[in-house]
Amino acid sequence: MPRKISRTLLLVALFVVSAVGCFGQSTTGTVTMSATVSKFVEINSGGAVTLTGNSGGGVTTDGVANSPLAVSINLGELGPSNTNSFVTAQVPLKLRSNAAYVLSMTATVTSSGTTASRIVASDVGFGLGTVSRTGLGVNAGSDTNATSGDPTLAANGSVNGTTGRYDFTAVRSNLSAFSSATTALSGPIIMNAVPRSNANGLTVPALFAVKPQFFENGTSTISVTFTVTAP
Amino acid sequence: MFKSTKGILTTLAITAALLLMSATAAFAQTTGSVTMTATVSNFVELTSGGAVTLTGNSGGSVITDGTANSPLAVVVNLGELGPSNTNSFVTLSVPVRLRSNVAYQLNMVSSVAGAGATSFSLKDTDVGFGLTPAARPANLAAGVDTNATPGDPTVGGSTDANGRWVFAGANSTLGAYAVSGAVLSGPRINKAVAANSATNLTFPAIFAVKPQFYDPAPAITITAQFTVVAL
Repeated sequence: MPRKISRTLLLVALFVVSAVGCFGQSTTGTVTMSATVSKFVEINSGGAVTLTGNSGGGVTTDGVANSPLAVSINLGELGPSNTNSFVTAQVPLKLRSNAAYVLSMTATVTSSGTTASRIVASDVGFGLGTVSRTGLGVNAGSDTNATSGDPTLAANGSVNGTTGRYDFTAVRSNLSAFSSATTALSGPIIMNAVPRSNANGLTVPALFAVKPQFFENGTSTISVTFTVTAP
Repeated sequence: MFKSTKGILTTLAITAALLLMSATAAFAQTTGSVTMTATVSNFVELTSGGAVTLTGNSGGSVITDGTANSPLAVVVNLGELGPSNTNSFVTLSVPVRLRSNVAYQLNMVSSVAGAGATSFSLKDTDVGFGLTPAARPANLAAGVDTNATPGDPTVGGSTDANGRWVFAGANSTLGAYAVSGAVLSGPRINKAVAANSATNLTFPAIFAVKPQFYDPAPAITITAQFTVVAL
């Protein structure tokens, strides 16, 4: 009788060992990866600046395509000795995003003058030109230009009948509309699912214009900051 | 007299018979036999080949690492896969370890979830995959393993007509493994060695994603499940 019990226990032990052996054999495995794609918006220079109508001015720091936008321009003489119709600076912008975007702008104009005839923000015309979505990997889409375009267009300004001063009169056609961050351009996703090394994007010229006038003499600094966000 | 002789003879006959029986019984206990039956079952095993390697990531990390000879169950955060990650690829190399006493086939099935559903969303075809097994060392059974993948997915590849990155070759992305499919197969791996022998076939399974302008997605999950079967 004790031998029977011993045999039974031995058999049970063998089954247990066998079962452990089977379950210990791993035949599957998993690799679980998590990841994120964050909203991405980018503004860079779209290339070299074009300065026209200037007298004694020049481009101090030019734009370089696909590099951070940090141009510096001397508009030169803005008084009546400059006989050109407008001094204009055309600054190419390049935007890229994987989401809908909003391009806003804020601007300040400071002048050493102290009278009402000094250069002020409303004397600096502004507008965004034609938006271009071209090139491999750029998504088709319709952008909303919140400015009136080229500020030198006749439709966008005229001599004030009362003061004789030239006024940029169209909607968001001068820097006074951008004393605080204000939307200048917005639109849907810019880039298709392409690598960042794809250098294409949305390009648009930012147009600045000053009509030489009998401004109060002095020096002026016009500072403009563009910011692109993904709402 | 006659009766007496008959009785003696009868007694002698019975005694002789008893002696013969006794001798026969003594000779039957000088031999014996032991009969054993056994089985060698097909054995295939998949475990981790060791620690994973994550490169090119931005904000990612290894959450559950691989441990050599333990069940494969790694969890990895690949981090940012959008264009703010300026690396060429986010690459995960997962060492896989196989052992068998028979011909084997390693299968894989995979999925991508949480990436969005537009044409710009990250898809299974955006996750490169490949195995890079080396020739078997001498301590394994001789044989050639058949790699159904093109190998390292970061080698080769190009952009398509839309500018999106395309991994080179057949079976080079998880798009080929939406249903279970063979990734590696071969003849028996181990020689007739002890179960605790450390000899095994270890090779890296490589996953790669090229950061692109994918649709924003905060929680993408990519899963790959390996299963080894005996052929």
